[in-house]
Amino acid sequence: MSRSPAAPPSAVPPERMAEILDIAEDGVVTVDRDRRIVLFNRGAAKIFGYHPAEVLGRPLEDLLPERYRPAHPAQVASFAGGPDVSRVMGERRLVFGRRQDGTEFPAEVTISKLEGVGGTLLTAIVRDGTARKKYEDALKRLNQELEERVRERTAELADRNLRLAQKNEENETFVYSVSHDLRSPLVNLEGFSEELALSLRDLTRLLADDRIPADVRARAAGLVGEAMPESVAFIRAAVTRLSRIIDALLRLSRAGRVEYQPQPVDVAGVVRRVADALHATATEKQAEVAIGELPPAWGDPTAVEQVFANLLGNALNYLDPARPGRVEVGAGSDGEAGRTYFVRDNGLGIPDAHRAKMFQAFQRLHPDKAAGEGMGLTIVRRILERLGGTIRVESAPRAGTTFFVTLPAGPPDRAARPGPQP
Amino acid sequence: MTPAMRIEHLVILLAEDDDGHASLIRRNLKRAGFVNEIVRVRDGQEALDYVRGEGAFAARPPDAPLLLLLDINMPKVDGVGVLKAIKAEPKLARLPVIMLTTTDDPREVDRCYGLGCSVYITKPVQYQDFVDALTRLGMFLEIIQVPGREPT
Repeated sequence: MSRSPAAPPSAVPPERMAEILDIAEDGVVTVDRDRRIVLFNRGAAKIFGYHPAEVLGRPLEDLLPERYRPAHPAQVASFAGGPDVSRVMGERRLVFGRRQDGTEFPAEVTISKLEGVGGTLLTAIVRDGTARKKYEDALKRLNQELEERVRERTAELADRNLRLAQKNEENETFVYSVSHDLRSPLVNLEGFSEELALSLRDLTRLLADDRIPADVRARAAGLVGEAMPESVAFIRAAVTRLSRIIDALLRLSRAGRVEYQPQPVDVAGVVRRVADALHATATEKQAEVAIGELPPAWGDPTAVEQVFANLLGNALNYLDPARPGRVEVGAGSDGEAGRTYFVRDNGLGIPDAHRAKMFQAFQRLHPDKAAGEGMGLTIVRRILERLGGTIRVESAPRAGTTFFVTLPAGPPDRAARPGPQP
Repeated sequence: MTPAMRIEHLVILLAEDDDGHASLIRRNLKRAGFVNEIVRVRDGQEALDYVRGEGAFAARPPDAPLLLLLDINMPKVDGVGVLKAIKAEPKLARLPVIMLTTTDDPREVDRCYGLGCSVYITKPVQYQDFVDALTRLGMFLEIIQVPGREPT
């Protein structure tokens, strides 16, 4: 520490200064070069519990806990011989004082050195740090508790996330095995309704035989010509419907289970491929498909293609016949979540009432407009969830719909976001 | 086996636990003109017993040319288990195996081809595809069973 600029001459007379020093709440202890106490003010008396008369002339070490005493003279000598005029003690470690009754207290101490005619005088200004230490300790404890609680909560949340992911996986496995089990009886229904249809054809041929009485033939014709084919047709339609539902469920469970190979994805290329595949549909609907600049993203290329195939397919399927169809794919500005893409159409739009349900399984808004099971957007959302992306929708009935999709721009920061392990 | 082996002499071993499926397969094979003997077993263990000529099938004529139609989901030993066991036995490893199953899960399909099945067919069976596959396999059999021309 450097000497501070000289103070202006004080208006306080020197004898008053001694008094001021004496009545200060802080303890003031001055020792000579031999560490004998030469000044011990009232503050020091209060802190250490000694009357000044008891300590004057005694070594400074009497005011220290015994364990610090042996090393102390050398430390004092070092300060006395060193360049510093003053120093704060205990900056690096806590220092302690010893009261007259032998108890210890944490002390905040500054020391200073004054050299003059009477030799070197070393002064310690001492403050009892018990209260402060208590607050500090309490603060430290609170901090630790807080940290502990944050750690606990974080662990709890991570655990809950893991359990949710497991639950999701369990559900998907369940859906998978149920749909799989449903398929087996369905194969029989389908196969044997086909068999019935074939038998019916043969039976019809047999009934053409002249040897069968005409009235029997007429009655049988009603059965084999109308009632039975109708029954078979209904069974087969039901089987087809069931089969589609089961396939849709399997697709959904597969969307959650299939292993992804994350890598940089050329989204522009993906969308071009999707648009090419839908070219016939677009031509048939006389719709224009415009593709803007699309930056690359990070994900599984097949999964990303599924997302855009679904969104573009929907856009083309649900156009409004009242105006020429237009579908636009573009990119928004990158946000915190990564890349933003949109698929915009000027189609039928989605009423607010349906908005909440549109990502749920088996929800169809325009069942008359296109074939499907109402599984597309459910699968899209599940895929994006797994890719670390999002989807949201803006729509106005009779004006059109825009889907906004976000995808990560790069691989996830493993430390920050430990994704579910496959 | 004799070099003059033809598809008509082939015994089709159908391992299928679902009676309905088994019946549908029989009917369709017959309708497609296959006159082959069809032996039906209900689980993978019976299938293995048959191909090894063990257990209930100890009396079957040895070396009858065989084609296996294996359902994947079967009690005791499943179809994949049978496929694995057959491919692990040098004497049986060359038997043609058609896997028949209700799942078209790509991983399952890959697994079966990886284990060496000849054809994988998903139920509900498109019977024309099925018949085409069988016919192709029949021709394949004629080729590989000519001595001295076995592929290395």
